[in-house]
Amino acid sequence: MEEEEEAEEQQRFSYQQRLKAAVHYTVGCLCEEVASDKEIQFSKQTIAAISEMTFRQCENFAKDLEMFARHAKRSTVNTEDVKLLARRSNSLLKYITEKNEEIAQLNLERKAKKKKKSEDRNKNSRESAEDGEVENEN
Amino acid sequence: MEGAGFRKELVSKLLRLHFRDGGTRVSGDALQLMAELLKIFVTEAAVRGARQAQAEDVALVGVDQLEKVLPQLLLDF
Repeated sequence: MEEEEEAEEQQRFSYQQRLKAAVHYTVGCLCEEVASDKEIQFSKQTIAAISEMTFRQCENFAKDLEMFARHAKRSTVNTEDVKLLARRSNSLLKYITEKNEEIAQLNLERKAKKKKKSEDRNKNSRESAEDGEVENEN
Repeated sequence: MEGAGFRKELVSKLLRLHFRDGGTRVSGDALQLMAELLKIFVTEAAVRGARQAQAEDVALVGVDQLEKVLPQLLLDF
């Protein structure tokens, strides 16, 4: 029994390591953007430190988000919960709220495009059926 | 949303790692918004570190500079 628990622990540990590596990669890319913008360099230790901090901060974020959703009697975390996370700084909250509207708008446009595409497809297949062309089997 | 950023899949895994309830899910929009939040977190750390290095007139952002901006960063989040 103990061996099973140990194996589980090992699995969780190596899974965490893989996630940390993925975070580290993204953090490196973002720091590179700042570095070229500000014409300055980041030491490897700094990038590693920011990466570690970000990973740890995710734990706080996750637990808070889960609690916010549960408080609202939901099992799915939504954007209102994320906005609550950003409450500590006014400028952060403002930025996140604006981003939320951008995202919502983009998704609306994408849905409208998809709908129009399938409508056009239906229209075309109906027209070719009327012309008496041979239809392909679906 | 140009440049580097956190992929939705990665954000989802990061959050689910720490959820206490197996039934907790995250909506697609919330994942996208969280990706933005994480991007800001990292960018703020980097930019504030860079500003500190510039104020100290050093060409490299080392952990000494990062340490000085950490407290305020964590308070802001």
